[in-house]
Amino acid sequence: MSQPVAAVRHILIEGNKSYHNITEDLCSPTEKTPSREWIIAFSLSTVFLGLYIFAIVWTVWKGIGEWGANRSINWAWDITNFVWWIGIGHAGTLISAILLLFRQRWRTGVNRAAEAMTIFAVICAGQFPIFHMGRVWLAFFIMPFPNTRGPLWTNFNSPLLWDVFAISTYFSVSLLFWYTGLVPDLATVRDRAKGFRKKMYETFSFGWTGSAKHWQRWEALSLVLAGISTPLVLSVHTIVSFDFATSVVPGWHTTIFPPYFVAGAVFSGFAMVQTLMIITRKVLNLQEYITMNHIESMNKVIVLTGTIVGVAYLTELFISWYSGYIYEQFAFYNRVFGIYWWSYFGMMFCNVIAPQVFWSRKLRRNIWWTFFLSIIINIGMWFERFVIIATTLARDFLPSSWSYYRPTWVEISIFAGTMGLFFFCYLIFCRVAPVVAIAEVKSILKVAGDQYIGPNAKHGHGEKTHHEH
Amino acid sequence: MHHDNGIWVGAEDLMRDEAFAQSSQSEFSVENIDQTDGKWTASRRDFLKLMGFGLGAATIAASCEIPVKKAIPYVTKPDEIVPGVANYFASSFVDGGDYCAVLVKTREGRPIKIEGNTLSGVTNGGTSARAQASVLSLYDTRRIQHAGTVKDGQVEKQEWGVFDREVKAKLASGNIRVITNTIISPTAEKALGEFLAKYPGASVVSYDMVSAAALLEANQKCFGYRAFPHYKFDEASVICSFGADFLGTWGNPIQQAHDYAKGRKVAGKKHAKMSRHYQVEGYMSLTGSNADNRIQIRPSEMGAAITALYAEISGNGGGPKLNDKAAGAIKKLAKDLQAARGKSIVVSGSNNVAEQIIVNKINEMLGNLNNTIDFNGATFSRQGDERNVAKLIEEMNGGQVSTVIVWGANPAWELPNAGAFTDAFKKVATRISLNTNLDETTLLCTHAAPAHHYLESWGDAQAKAGRYSLIQPTIAPLFATRQAEQSLLTWADSANLNATSDQPYYEYLKANWQNSIGAGQTKYLTQDAFWEMSLHDGVYENAPHDITAVFDSAVAVDPGAVSKPSSSELEISFYETVNIGGGQYAHNPWLQEMPDPVTRTVWGNYLSIPLEWDGVNNINGWKGLVDGDEVQVEVNGQKFTCAVVRNFGQAPGTVSIALGGGRTAGGCGVGFGVNVNPALKQENGLTQYYAADVVVTPTGGKDKHFACVQHHHTMGVKAMGTEEGKEINVDEKSLGWKGFQGSLTDRSIIFQTNVKDLQSLEHKLEEFHHEAEHLNSQTLYPDNKDYFGTGMKWGMYVDLNSCIGCGACQVACVSENNVPVVGKKEVARHHEMTWLRIDRYFYGDFENPKVVYQPMMCQHCDNAPCENVCPVNATNHSMEGLNQMAYNRCIGTRYCANNCPYKVRRFNWLDYTTADVWPSNEERVFHVEGEDKPYYADNLVRMVLNPDVTVRTRGVIEKCSFCVQRIQEGKLTAKREGREIMDNDVRTACQTACPTGAIIFGNLNNPNSEVSKANKAAGALAYKVLEEINVRPGVQYTAKVHNANEELFS
Repeated sequence: MSQPVAAVRHILIEGNKSYHNITEDLCSPTEKTPSREWIIAFSLSTVFLGLYIFAIVWTVWKGIGEWGANRSINWAWDITNFVWWIGIGHAGTLISAILLLFRQRWRTGVNRAAEAMTIFAVICAGQFPIFHMGRVWLAFFIMPFPNTRGPLWTNFNSPLLWDVFAISTYFSVSLLFWYTGLVPDLATVRDRAKGFRKKMYETFSFGWTGSAKHWQRWEALSLVLAGISTPLVLSVHTIVSFDFATSVVPGWHTTIFPPYFVAGAVFSGFAMVQTLMIITRKVLNLQEYITMNHIESMNKVIVLTGTIVGVAYLTELFISWYSGYIYEQFAFYNRVFGIYWWSYFGMMFCNVIAPQVFWSRKLRRNIWWTFFLSIIINIGMWFERFVIIATTLARDFLPSSWSYYRPTWVEISIFAGTMGLFFFCYLIFCRVAPVVAIAEVKSILKVAGDQYIGPNAKHGHGEKTHHEH
Repeated sequence: MHHDNGIWVGAEDLMRDEAFAQSSQSEFSVENIDQTDGKWTASRRDFLKLMGFGLGAATIAASCEIPVKKAIPYVTKPDEIVPGVANYFASSFVDGGDYCAVLVKTREGRPIKIEGNTLSGVTNGGTSARAQASVLSLYDTRRIQHAGTVKDGQVEKQEWGVFDREVKAKLASGNIRVITNTIISPTAEKALGEFLAKYPGASVVSYDMVSAAALLEANQKCFGYRAFPHYKFDEASVICSFGADFLGTWGNPIQQAHDYAKGRKVAGKKHAKMSRHYQVEGYMSLTGSNADNRIQIRPSEMGAAITALYAEISGNGGGPKLNDKAAGAIKKLAKDLQAARGKSIVVSGSNNVAEQIIVNKINEMLGNLNNTIDFNGATFSRQGDERNVAKLIEEMNGGQVSTVIVWGANPAWELPNAGAFTDAFKKVATRISLNTNLDETTLLCTHAAPAHHYLESWGDAQAKAGRYSLIQPTIAPLFATRQAEQSLLTWADSANLNATSDQPYYEYLKANWQNSIGAGQTKYLTQDAFWEMSLHDGVYENAPHDITAVFDSAVAVDPGAVSKPSSSELEISFYETVNIGGGQYAHNPWLQEMPDPVTRTVWGNYLSIPLEWDGVNNINGWKGLVDGDEVQVEVNGQKFTCAVVRNFGQAPGTVSIALGGGRTAGGCGVGFGVNVNPALKQENGLTQYYAADVVVTPTGGKDKHFACVQHHHTMGVKAMGTEEGKEINVDEKSLGWKGFQGSLTDRSIIFQTNVKDLQSLEHKLEEFHHEAEHLNSQTLYPDNKDYFGTGMKWGMYVDLNSCIGCGACQVACVSENNVPVVGKKEVARHHEMTWLRIDRYFYGDFENPKVVYQPMMCQHCDNAPCENVCPVNATNHSMEGLNQMAYNRCIGTRYCANNCPYKVRRFNWLDYTTADVWPSNEERVFHVEGEDKPYYADNLVRMVLNPDVTVRTRGVIEKCSFCVQRIQEGKLTAKREGREIMDNDVRTACQTACPTGAIIFGNLNNPNSEVSKANKAAGALAYKVLEEINVRPGVQYTAKVHNANEELFS
């Protein structure tokens, strides 16, 4: 990680930070008493988490019949939310793995939080395939393990089983990657801590000493994990899309789904990162680490992936017409003009039309626009999954079985509850670990000696120069 | 132990240590237990360990409820009962005039299933939904369980002896009236006769809720027979029905459906010929939905339509004016009828004597009498006359009646003037009910002498002239009830009843059969053999064959006396449904949850309203109403509020509603639907099932639980397009989100054609098969076609041309496979559990469409999309081509149900069968009104469960198994007998239930099996639904062929 920095490149963090400044700025949120905003947000998340637990217990106790799904539309909000959450996770992996391999060094400002987001989003996503089961107490049946029931094996043809592997792999690799990155930073926190806190961080930092050997191993491991994660960015959502693509249902049985789902996932993931970062940087006062440039870069990714998704939507429509197959044609006609037309138009507006404003540099660099659009995109991507799942099932082959779906309070509570679960985890994370990767940020600092290219670059310490000035 | 082969265990063994050798001999090692001074002592640790274990074990043992298994062997095993082997008893289902010769399947002494009796010449092995469901009413928790006096809605128990003494004392003085529905049992008539003879002031008042009194009177007048004739629908080439629902509820529907379907089978025939069926009606009846042509009229125009036909055929006018469109059609109908002289049938469901006489005259003029209309097979399914009731009410009001005995009838609810009846009824001193449930009338009675259910009874029936059948008990009475006939005979102090015998009525019945019904029989050598064999067969048939009916020339045909068309804006029809009838079956959950074939609604009656086409792209309900909107209906001075259902085929300017909703007492039907009986008016004392001057006002409310299993109905209806100026496909124009959305109609689900275009359909289907085969052969995977080439390969054949949509198969499936009832609220959420459903699609003219019924069950695809998506292999394919469900393995992801193109998989959303142990999760499952326990939690109801079929728990998927338990049983039988399996060994429940033989099941690998032959015979007309998606279904359908007169309205 010691590439030369081109002089023409813009600085990646602002404020002419010294190493010490960085340590101070990024460790302090874990050391201070929580702010009022944090306490309010945490209490709110806890309430929603409670709602989640209540709704899940209700579902398991009473039965899936408490949901609005029916004999034609067997999946609805459950799998919509599952795909939505999984999609959100993708930005973290993309930032930490692919951007690492592409040497996009601006990523260091946001990768830690994005990776955390990935992990929490996958946790949320995982709730749905588990609790949508009619007999969740037998969920272990989906694990291929030697048993005395025959032995009875799982069905390796089933995309749902592929999901199990894809998501568990994704979760474990993401967790490892994230935690590996955290180790030096936890050690930094440890070094500043006292008493019980020190002991705790000592344990969690695995006795990190910062020796050259440690750094070497750490960098090697990071690269290896980045290498493993990279295909996961593409494979996880590809496999999720197989749930639909390998079926016979018109509107699901589509070869375009894998790339379309991956693009959509990255798209929604970046939107979520924006939502979180814009709040985090404000609340934790990290504007100089997560700069306008970060936000702009991510907006560029958003406009790119949003447009890819838009092209996919149009391709789908074209192919369905071109197929000459009436079930296919009807499925897409129905998607656009059918009973759930509002969700299709919501999706089109939020995902394709709205992000186009980011062609304007001014708007790309506007906090309020970015925040607003990130929310819009999150909604749009939720609509996309709803359109794919509920709309398709509501109108399939046999008109006799067509139906309509409305969620019940239980499903709404579970979805709202996973938000609580997500923010509960995220807010704790903000309090116990540096939300920006200290070690990595330090590696891109341009104040260090000869690398300092800021104003009045002369000799000596950048910070000192700054003060003199 | 040191072994000679050099193997040793541990150092001690190797060194042949003495102590070790000894200890290894003893079975239990005591080394690790502390031992001092030869006494067992326990250290503190041991004490704690033992105490911990002891407390733990005790806690577990005490807190776990260990289920008590009540598998008690017989002390003395009855000879005929082998646990696990079913016994079948021939019997007859009789309820009022409804009749079906049945075989009752019993397991371990419990009746669990009704099958048709193929020996019967009346039903030919066919059944009806009502007959299929009748076994459930045996286990009705609301049956009255003992005799007694009725007080405050309860029956206060009395012993039969005490009760009889009290009743006899009451009967001793004054006039007695016995109110019944149609009685078709000769022995019951005899018993009743003895009762009437004993009490001179006694007489019988017999009425039918859905009356055929006019028809009976007309036949009496014209031909001298007070009965339905036998209509030979199989021999008729032109059938015209003026509102008679002869396939569903009118006459002898099981036989009529059987014969009708015979005349309409075209598959496999070289020169396809089929009957042409015209139906003249206002609302879409089950029969009308099967018709080739429907001539839509307003219900008040029925008389005008009949006289118009009469005028065409006889040249004598004089009837009221019919609307021009229908009048034009009637002219063409008349031509068709005249061309088929002696080979046509005209029937009418009207309850107007003049109209029925005209219909008789038309038949006579067409030469049908004694050809297609035969009084040798007269049907007695309706005997009542509601005009008697009016007289009875007068008598009761006048205090001339001291005792009324109600037997089977429920006048306090069924009669149009139930209010007047009730008031008069209360003036009678002694009111005795023989009904099985605490229904509306029994609640008003003073005494209840509950009768047995027919499955506990002895009895007989004469559904048609000379065709007798027996009813025998298949279970000991569940409650302290008593055969109604025995009650009457007891009260009559009959000398012919041996009151001290075990089964007095059995002996009475046997004597009557041997001495009177079978008197002079020559079929069997002795009268004992006659009795034994008749009981074994269930039927004894000695039909007359020498009757020639002659139209009495003295009977005046009076076109002026027919019903007059009304000029009011809106008219209403009231009709009987095939499931809950006039309401007498409302307390049977299987029938309540069986969708009405035409409207597809369940649990209640809904007002059918017509649909309107705006000429551009919208189909709207009349007045903009949508399904489930509540309206207030004002008719004949009565008001009732009900929900509407938009219904194709409902003539403009008319609405219709089924009878039978809104029961107020007696069982689980209470609270569903609305009672419309008070709105029926009577003309000349005869109940009319229509009314003019109807006002329908939307209330703005909605039925929150509007329960309809099919929201989408059309497969290519056509209407005029305003912009196009020509007829267009409305379905394809009305795609979208508004109103009544259409669908693309060229779906490979239904194929239909006019019989004259049969060849072009065959051509089209051949092309389709070719195209599908081409598509399906484009696969990367090795072909698995030969996987099923050996052994058995089960398959089904469904003839859409024979299916009339009656729903018998559906109820049979529910009964055979323990399919749970979920109740109205759950059906409203599309959580119905039926494994077999009958999809109904409309096609053709928008205002006057035709209908095709498609029984849809698991297609047992050989390349099943459900199988490969199940993550845990819970659904998989058998070597015999069955798509199997392993309920124990299912974890309920429902992926299979999503991926099923036929949407036949059903998920147990809730604990519908109450298999779980927690009562708290049973709130939403089906409860009978006012009961705490869910329906299936009652051990009485659970007696109906088929022990061969697993009861599914919450959270698992289930679906049609092709009755795998029957396949298994058939295979075992064949194996035991050391022969190849034959068609007779395995018949699915839906197959045996079907009155028209529309469903054939069997081994496709056997070229001589019925199913293979049927498939082969159908040739190109056979197709698989969605053949082109390569799922390779195991069910073949044949195209629907109609024989419409396409110039009818031109």
